[in-house]
Amino acid sequence: MVEFTVPEVDYTRYTNRQLAAIPLAVLVVALLIIAGWYVMTGSPVNQGIAFTGGTEVQVAIDGPQSAAEEQIRQAFSAEPETIRSVPAQNVYVITFQSEAGSVGAAGLERQAQDAGLDVRSVSSVSASFGSNTQVLALGGLGVAFLGMSVLVFAMFRVFVPSIAVVISAFSDIVIPLALMNVLGIELSLGTVAALLMLIGYSVDSDILLNNHILRRSGDFYESTYRAMRTGVTMTLTSITAMIVMTITATLFGIQLLAAIGTVLVFGLAADLMNTYLLNLSLLRWYKFKGVAR
Amino acid sequence: MVDVRENWRVALLVVFILIAGFALLSPTLAADDGAAGSDVAATSSVTNLQYGLELSGGTRVRAPLVGVTAEDVSFGADSTRAVEQAVADELENAGPADVIARTGVPAGQQSSAQAQSETTSTVEVTAENVTTDELAAALDATGYATEETEVRDGVTDATRQEVVRILQNKINEAGLSGGTVQQVTTAQGENYVLVEVPNQDASSVRELVSERGTVVIEAYYPTGNGSYARDVVLQQEDFQSIGTAQEGRSGGAYVPVTVSESVAPEFQQSMVDTGLAQQGGTRCVYQQDRNNTEACLLLVVNGEVTNAFGMSPGLADTLRSGEWAQDPVFQLQTTNVSEAQDVAINLRAGALPAQLDFSQESGGTVSYISPSQGADFRINSLITGIIAVLAVSGTVFVRYSDVRIAAPMIVTALSEVVILLGFAAGIGYPLDLSVIAGFIAVIGTGVDDLIIIADEVMAEGEINSRRVFQSRFRKAFWVIGAAAATTIIAMSPLAILSLGDLQGFAIFTILGVVVGVLITRPAYGDILRSLTTVDR
Repeated sequence: MVEFTVPEVDYTRYTNRQLAAIPLAVLVVALLIIAGWYVMTGSPVNQGIAFTGGTEVQVAIDGPQSAAEEQIRQAFSAEPETIRSVPAQNVYVITFQSEAGSVGAAGLERQAQDAGLDVRSVSSVSASFGSNTQVLALGGLGVAFLGMSVLVFAMFRVFVPSIAVVISAFSDIVIPLALMNVLGIELSLGTVAALLMLIGYSVDSDILLNNHILRRSGDFYESTYRAMRTGVTMTLTSITAMIVMTITATLFGIQLLAAIGTVLVFGLAADLMNTYLLNLSLLRWYKFKGVAR
Repeated sequence: MVDVRENWRVALLVVFILIAGFALLSPTLAADDGAAGSDVAATSSVTNLQYGLELSGGTRVRAPLVGVTAEDVSFGADSTRAVEQAVADELENAGPADVIARTGVPAGQQSSAQAQSETTSTVEVTAENVTTDELAAALDATGYATEETEVRDGVTDATRQEVVRILQNKINEAGLSGGTVQQVTTAQGENYVLVEVPNQDASSVRELVSERGTVVIEAYYPTGNGSYARDVVLQQEDFQSIGTAQEGRSGGAYVPVTVSESVAPEFQQSMVDTGLAQQGGTRCVYQQDRNNTEACLLLVVNGEVTNAFGMSPGLADTLRSGEWAQDPVFQLQTTNVSEAQDVAINLRAGALPAQLDFSQESGGTVSYISPSQGADFRINSLITGIIAVLAVSGTVFVRYSDVRIAAPMIVTALSEVVILLGFAAGIGYPLDLSVIAGFIAVIGTGVDDLIIIADEVMAEGEINSRRVFQSRFRKAFWVIGAAAATTIIAMSPLAILSLGDLQGFAIFTILGVVVGVLITRPAYGDILRSLTTVDR
């Protein structure tokens, strides 16, 4: 049977410290970026209007982009915060910050209609509802992570392998968050959904690896290779699907799906690194030199 | 070659797919909401799926109600109407119509067990710009406050339910089919009214739902010393039936109404007393010169005088003679037909006891998706999903280069989506983008699990007995079960908390994982077994 080869890494050539160094360094950089963001902007991530409050209007305009943007600026009494274009559809996404005394969603809609723009969608969130959503989203993420950690500890009942899974999952969430900051992707309901999905995805391959190494007889490296063959296939399949989904959703202007896809691609790539470098090195340390058992 | 008993898991999967297919396609289960009107999108498609606003177009408005409430108030011997009047007199920004007094069951007259759970009397003020402090001061001044009195923002549950009922009436009366109104509570305990109307833009929906919709008829008459008085002579609830708005012969329009019998004599008397029913009727020039007119009837909508008209000589005669009360019909004159329609809608639906709060600090949201955008999203997200599945299939085929393993994998993963779609159609859950994101999550974790099963089962070459297969399958299942449990735990907070937009995502991800672990993924194991062990 011919398979596309999941390369067999010769882990014996590297020490645990060498293996763990890369993912830990990346994690530290990611945390620094988030901390830096917090210091500079007062918020650890860029928040979209679902969390800060504001109005988003989508209009369809034919013609060149610069003319369209000019038309948009003239249509509204308020100054747009951002104008983005959706490729292939001549649709422009305009966001407005929420301010006291501003015209509001219905007012903006009317202005757009008066200016003869084809309004595709309008959505507005008030600031206080946004901050409620924020509390709920962060709380949900926190509870989900906590629940996952408790479950992992209950399943393996040994400290080092369990904490390895939890650290990997943590890093799988933090790295995409940092990348979102760097690439200017805003935290939206879609990206929160993606971060939650990441908890599930990242634990999949970690549990698989732990299970193969801890519960199966056989040589450590052989078990590792077998777990890797399955795990890497899983993650690569998901990454492929998500890359394709991100590209199509971006072309079609379905922001929710594009945001989910982007964050998952980052997270899954981080998961590959964390599982097979960080988690593996911790497991090897536990198996060979670990606490007296 | 295969009997059902050995392949019961596959049989179960087939049964589920058939049920889902039935729920999806059977015309007998098509949405029929009767009077409320079926969803516009649902009727136009071949499946029974219902689409949410994101995928069908329309407006969603979510806003709290304006108002402050005092709980645990004591009215003493006063009637609620007297309390409303007294409290309103103490408040600068509110009239009697803005104050609602509700009596709970007095604690003394109840058995002690029930007295605990019963709420005592409340006073609500639903005018804008009345603060909790002002209401507390008014209650102190009127002497209705007690030791336990607490004043808070927001209105009572009874008022919210009334608002929901009246808004639903308004939407139905305005002919907006498929519109729904409901009460939602956030995790923080804040209450919102959620209005969803398909195929309407935000401004028209907002106009409809933001009006209080109070309609009263006032008499405007000279008091003799050169000044004029205004008295409310008919209120919304005084009408027995309301006709359809009609165009008048000499321009303008009117709504024919019947005054209820109990109020008719009183109204008749006040018409005579105010001089409106004088010999020859009255000529009203209120709009031109309000300080120099004969007596008028004023049509007051939402607190503003929208029209003023005099009394025709004929009607004045029947009022004076007392005949009118035998057949108390009457025409509400308006300046144009659309105004007449508004008045008719407001009269039939009733006045809102409290307004929706659309101010920036209120915590409301408004969203509008144009129907064309909704249709685009529907098709494009389907295409996106199909392309994602193709990408998964491609990767799996390349990895295993064995159709016997890869093909059933794709079919199994897709069957999970079919079952979920059938479920959504069966219970009428409206699909929107977050549910579609849930489907994608399900396909993702589903294929991951199938890869685990395939690798585990195919590991170390030949499978030469059922026992070997079973033990390997069980090992694979441990990992799958553990992963499924973590996913369910991770998603459950969002499924329970009503974060609105993400709830559908969480619910369908959890459902998908449950269906996957209990039905489809075990069936894949069986399929794999029969394909790899039988013909040996």
